[in-house]
Amino acid sequence: MAEKLGFYFDQTLCTGCKACSVACKDKHDHAVGISWRRVAEYAGGTWQQDGDTVVPNVFSYYTSIACNHCEDPICVRVCPTTAMSQGEDGIVTIDQTKCVGCRYCEWACPYSAPQLNAATGHMTKCDMCADYRAEGQDPACVAACPSRALGWGPIDELRAKHGTLAAVEPLPDPAITRPRLVITPHRDAQPTGSGTGFVANPGEL
Amino acid sequence: MNTHELPMIIFTVLAQMSVGAFVVLGVVQVVAGRRFGKESVDKVTDPALYAIGPALVLGLIASMFHMNDVFHTLNVVRHLGSSWLSREIVFGLLFAGLGFLFAVVQWFKWGSPRLRQALAALTALVGLTLVYVMSMIYYTLETVPAWHSWATPAQFFTTTFLLGSLAVGAAFMGALMWRRRAAAKSGNVFHVDDATRTMLSSCLKGIGLGAVALLGVEFVIIPMHISGLSAAGGAAGRSALVFSGVWFIARLVLVFLGAGLLAVFLYRYATPTAQVRTLAIIATSAFVLVLAGELIGRSLFYDSMVRIGM
Ligand code: SF4
Ligand code: SF4
Repeated sequence: MAEKLGFYFDQTLCTGCKACSVACKDKHDHAVGISWRRVAEYAGGTWQQDGDTVVPNVFSYYTSIACNHCEDPICVRVCPTTAMSQGEDGIVTIDQTKCVGCRYCEWACPYSAPQLNAATGHMTKCDMCADYRAEGQDPACVAACPSRALGWGPIDELRAKHGTLAAVEPLPDPAITRPRLVITPHRDAQPTGSGTGFVANPGEL
Repeated sequence: MNTHELPMIIFTVLAQMSVGAFVVLGVVQVVAGRRFGKESVDKVTDPALYAIGPALVLGLIASMFHMNDVFHTLNVVRHLGSSWLSREIVFGLLFAGLGFLFAVVQWFKWGSPRLRQALAALTALVGLTLVYVMSMIYYTLETVPAWHSWATPAQFFTTTFLLGSLAVGAAFMGALMWRRRAAAKSGNVFHVDDATRTMLSSCLKGIGLGAVALLGVEFVIIPMHISGLSAAGGAAGRSALVFSGVWFIARLVLVFLGAGLLAVFLYRYATPTAQVRTLAIIATSAFVLVLAGELIGRSLFYDSMVRIGM
């Protein structure tokens, strides 16, 4: 059986420059409104009072997310046409000859990975740059990151090296789709579901 | 208000109304048939039966506009084993097909009454399954808290029976008025015999009573759903905010006027000696008000699609 692939992301290195997003858009020549890899800024904070002094205690960190080629892909489960399917290597792709553009996968995916191309009427999403990988190159986003915060590879190897964490705000509970994603958390990373902060750039996701 | 989901709003509401009307017609057939005889009941229910067809077809056509590539529509049945959307299409077509078949055999009075009744029962069963399958499309999305709630199937079935029964009431009176006008045009005086009057008035009474009861159910589901979402916070809490403001109030008021006020009116006024014209106006306005209210309600339902995650 082929090795299943996944992404790695290091929150401690990401500066929120969004070079990954731009590299992805550039490589796939996306129309305005389509962005397979997006960087969420999660921010929040509290005040602490110590006598007469009030000290702010704030945090902010970035999470770069594309499709996680999940182990239990809800997008594949709900797709009525079987256009959305998972390959041997775990990569989830859309068969453009089958997709009816019903957007059910878009409703379902908690990472906003499937996005509609209004011109073709079909859904589109990240395939981890299958063409680049076939030539032995890294996916465009991984290659573009100046901080080397992104990685990709067989998920078993990534997990052995970096742990298994994927439950960080603003990401959903990984139990839902079991994303092939490993995160090295920022020192202020908030656990999923804690709701202590908010996404500061919702328009970019 | 949500306009880009218009195809889905029209399709789900019309399909549910069709199923509800079909089931209510079946109940009328069985209950009234026993009291007034099958022949005279058929005379009243058949026109209403034929009115369901266009409504359902309109809904199915609207659903096509939801697909961003209509040319691939035939693919939507490929994932029956896993996708509720595939199942919805199959049950939608099955209900339409069986309904059409039943309308045809009823029109030509083919087969024994027994056989026709069995076909009607099967159609009703497939229709109710269709409503269940429709609700599962949304209920099973655990990533959308406002949909992943018992309120989704509860609301879908309430809409089904509420709109279905009021549509039947309106269709009964509409058919009667139409025949009256046709008679007047040809210079005859249209006479509704006493048995028909008695039967119609008791049907309308039943429909009025049913509508008020279903209104009560709806007015329990809505606040419970909203308070559950608010209490959960996060994405659920954000989706609860959709259920406020002008459109939400308009929805409540319309449904209340139609299924509350006018339905009570219908119940009290529907007697064998009542004015046919007045009854027709009450029954039709009740239906139109509730239809408008439910369409707005469904639009808010689609607006409440707030996903967890990012
Ligand atoms: S991230 Fe979304 S689109 Fe990608 S495999 Fe998981 S559920 Fe499907
Ligand atoms: S939009 Fe396409 S890929 Fe997505 S669920 Fe519908 S048919 Fe499947």
